[in-house]
Amino acid sequence: MKNRKAAFAATFTLLASSLVTAIAQDQKNTPPAPNPASSPNQQLAALAVPANSRPASTDKPSSPPEAARASGIHDNRALRLEGEKRFQANCGRCHMAPPKFPPRAMATILRHMRVRALITDEDRRLILRYMTE
Amino acid sequence: MLKNHRGWLLLATALLLQALPTGQVFAQSSDSPPPNTQSSYDQSQDPEAIKPVPVLQTSAAFQTVFDAGETHIHPLLTPVLLVPFGSRWLFEARGTFESDLAQQPGVSGFHGVVQKEEEYAQLDFIASPYMTVTVGRFLTPFGIFNERLYPVWIRNLASDPLTLPIGIGPSNASTGAMIRGGFKANKHFNINYAVYYSTLLTVSPMDSNRFAGGRAGIFIPKARLEIGGSYQHLLQDDHSNLFGFHMAWQPPKLPLNLRAETARSSVGSGYWVESVYGLTQVPFAQNQLRHTQVVARMQQFFTGPVPANSVLPVNTNMFEFGVNYYFMDGLRAMSSYGRQFAPQGNGNVWTLALTYRLVTPLGRGEVQ
Repeated sequence: MKNRKAAFAATFTLLASSLVTAIAQDQKNTPPAPNPASSPNQQLAALAVPANSRPASTDKPSSPPEAARASGIHDNRALRLEGEKRFQANCGRCHMAPPKFPPRAMATILRHMRVRALITDEDRRLILRYMTE
Repeated sequence: MLKNHRGWLLLATALLLQALPTGQVFAQSSDSPPPNTQSSYDQSQDPEAIKPVPVLQTSAAFQTVFDAGETHIHPLLTPVLLVPFGSRWLFEARGTFESDLAQQPGVSGFHGVVQKEEEYAQLDFIASPYMTVTVGRFLTPFGIFNERLYPVWIRNLASDPLTLPIGIGPSNASTGAMIRGGFKANKHFNINYAVYYSTLLTVSPMDSNRFAGGRAGIFIPKARLEIGGSYQHLLQDDHSNLFGFHMAWQPPKLPLNLRAETARSSVGSGYWVESVYGLTQVPFAQNQLRHTQVVARMQQFFTGPVPANSVLPVNTNMFEFGVNYYFMDGLRAMSSYGRQFAPQGNGNVWTLALTYRLVTPLGRGEVQ
């Protein structure tokens, strides 16, 4: 009986100390709330609209380098969104969404998950891009 | 309380790990991870150009189990080492240090011995986008629990499914070679497969049986549904065949995760069904409930014609219900209640646990 109480006490102490630590770190690390006006679906929808069917802009036409840069940004954004989609579909099959680790560690972890979870090479590339941005 | 010095050592290690600075972890409240504040990585750079660095992942758990009136304290430490070579090679290994501390008649305190296991140590060669060749000691890909859901920081209930010992070998692993991979079959679904051969090894605790088998699955990303089957042929003893089926489904619009497995063999058969529901859509107390998940698992086990020590000796049914709370990514409190129904008597199993996971790059993690 005495030992059982001690076991309870040890477990309770562990839980309590973890809670205090976790709350402190959670507050430190919680990211800012996402902007609801730019949800991934809305961004994808915007990207899906062909450029020539978008409403005419009153801005001055961009110069070729600016257009190329804008196109690159759009490509990057599309890849990132696709990567996020693949990330949620593949990684969530087994565990909660992990945080982003440093890029070189992320590359190792994704190589490991390619073997362990049998994700496709295409999924691995897109998830790696998403997780290292 | 714990007179056993090893027990103290494990407890101290678990506490130490828990108290380590966790600057790389983030709250796990949403589906998407937070922005990478650790990195100054140039987004225009090709991610394929990132040179991987060795990684040490450590998971620890401190479990207290109240099983039919007996208290067990179960500290556990599991390091995973990942060492990439070049662009196609990966060495990975996982060890476990654990103890089951229990009271003994006539002796005060909790006593137990530290068990050490090398769970797997394998070398992977990524031969093509469709195929990886693995040699060494690897987790037997029979069903999905042993390979994917076994780690203490991933599993949603502290206990193993009753059917887990079926098809995975005497030490949960195989010694031999394996070919595996995953590829996109068409725009609607992916196919994954694993084919393996294991040789007989009698060196405890790394023993393995002689068998050959395979597993194949279909994953439909849009529906987030995976279904598959496993087959194994034992090349020793009774030369029997083993079959298994698995499914995992995450409805895209719900924070729900459904998983199930069934296994059939000469030593026993059974199934388990597990559902995990994250309380992220509950409209009140969001600050607390978004970190909380409720778990339920139902399972049945039926003995087979061939007796075996690895499985339960009698038909058993079990129901478990649990509540988990994520303080942040990697740190979680688990609690569960289970009731086991067996011919020799029914019993309650209560579990309280803390699990922790830490990822450490063994080198510079940032891109130069």
